[in-house]
Amino acid sequence: MGRTAAEWNAPPKFPATHYVDSRLYTDEAIFGEEKEKLFRPSWIIACHESELPEAFDYRLFTHPAGVPLIVVRGDDARVRAFYNICPHRGNTILYDPSGNAKRMTCIFHQWSYDTRGNCVDITREEQGYQNRFSKKDVGLREVKCEVAYGGFVWVNLLDDCVPLREFIGGALDILEPYMQEPMELFHFHKARVRTNFKLWHDTNSEFYHDYMHYFNRITGMLQPGYFERKYTPFPNGHATVGSMQIQYDKYEGSKERAVGWPKMARGGWYMVDLFPGMTYNLRTSVMRIDTSIPLGPNEVLIEFRGLGLKRDTPEERAQRVFDHNTIWGPFGRNLHEDLLGVTGQGRAMRKGTDSRWVLQGREENSTIHDEVGMRHYYAEWSQRMGRPAYAPY
Amino acid sequence: MIKSEQRQAIEELVYRSCLALDSGDYKAFLDLCDEAFRYTITTHSAEIKRDMVWLDHDRKGMETLFTNLPHHNSDHSPLTRHATVYTVDLEGQEASVVSALQVFRTQLDGGATELFAVGRFHDTVKLDGGTAKLVKRVVRLDTRQLGYGYHIPF
Ligand code: FES
Ligand SMILES: [Fe+2]
Repeated sequence: MGRTAAEWNAPPKFPATHYVDSRLYTDEAIFGEEKEKLFRPSWIIACHESELPEAFDYRLFTHPAGVPLIVVRGDDARVRAFYNICPHRGNTILYDPSGNAKRMTCIFHQWSYDTRGNCVDITREEQGYQNRFSKKDVGLREVKCEVAYGGFVWVNLLDDCVPLREFIGGALDILEPYMQEPMELFHFHKARVRTNFKLWHDTNSEFYHDYMHYFNRITGMLQPGYFERKYTPFPNGHATVGSMQIQYDKYEGSKERAVGWPKMARGGWYMVDLFPGMTYNLRTSVMRIDTSIPLGPNEVLIEFRGLGLKRDTPEERAQRVFDHNTIWGPFGRNLHEDLLGVTGQGRAMRKGTDSRWVLQGREENSTIHDEVGMRHYYAEWSQRMGRPAYAPY
Repeated sequence: MIKSEQRQAIEELVYRSCLALDSGDYKAFLDLCDEAFRYTITTHSAEIKRDMVWLDHDRKGMETLFTNLPHHNSDHSPLTRHATVYTVDLEGQEASVVSALQVFRTQLDGGATELFAVGRFHDTVKLDGGTAKLVKRVVRLDTRQLGYGYHIPF
């Protein structure tokens, strides 16, 4: 039987930790606060070290809090990160998304910076500033930067941030054995979709939606071991999902994956969801990394990366690329379904639709269809936002 | 020197391949393809400065992709592929054909059309008497941001 307005609006019959108010996905004010309270203090993956193999190689990245960044490898091989904002009259310093720049020179008035953030040239410095002001006053704004956990470049905007290791809080330990060898990026694409960034992270944090994926139903859900996979919550809102053995040969057109991953059992699959919007996804032969960059309450830009091993032979690499594309490429079977799914949520829960609650009430002893991963995320959300996710006003 | 009937047969092949895919007639599409057909989507990332392969299938792989489609949850808004054959270079019985490609997507609800992707077809076509068959198609995409993507190749 359908429900009346009163019934629709009444809180679900669960403990309050087991549902959230759907205005969390539409409210401009909440969104602004999230950028400040969730993203600004967090360590965020900007790129992978293999995107900057040589000295002076750089990559641009827009931090989810909104700040445009340059990630650059110095003459000393160290990777550093700076605001891509010229201290003079605020122009963008580097325009192309990647490149090699021994000197980073602003096109506007040709002030120049080196890869350590020093200003090394001010055009007609003496004539304009005499001795009132000089290069040493206009270094770039540097942000904390570390290469870690599989060679990823992590950045943090705060001067007094917690150390990266403390932020991760052991959540990536499950992947440590598989990240001992250098990895290399072979895939990158961005998808801009009309949905809230948390809904993407939720989709990465629950496997109940394997019902949406024909591929996962056939190769996973119908296979032994699937319902034994477990969630483990970690501090700071992170969560991991343990492995099972995926039976790739059960999907017509797929086959048992010939190229595996060092030390990992055949057909293994581990996932680590990192608060507030990143995911490590190591599935048999490919490492996939998602980084969410929220653009508005109902819009997110997701950066997708696919990685293999640096030592891959051309044949091994081609196989990883094939495996990746089958499910995770822009034309892959699963990624399109996942993105379509969250876009549908974005449509149903955009402002004014009178959506009311999102249920996260499944309890199955923390196994694969338990919704504990999402509950854990919103517990951290509530703490950082200083208001419960089930009653944010 | 290419004869005008040959050029015409090749152009028609490219256009028929678009019409077949637009209408979801995969059998008609595969009928235009040689037994040794290979289909690849590639693009170059300006961000990571690498050529990427986004899809790569032989004929069997394409058949499987098409037959699996009904099992999957897909966007149902139809695509309109617009190709223009730019150049045809014939060597013996094989032609290298470069066409410009634009793909439009029309929303089912309301029928608004948006530009979905631009790129090129780099086709290899085999001429056998009067018939032309696709031996290889490489779709080189310029567009890399495809929103929630699509299950059916261009
Ligand atoms: S704004 Fe960059 S040099 Fe003036
Ligand atoms: Fe999924």
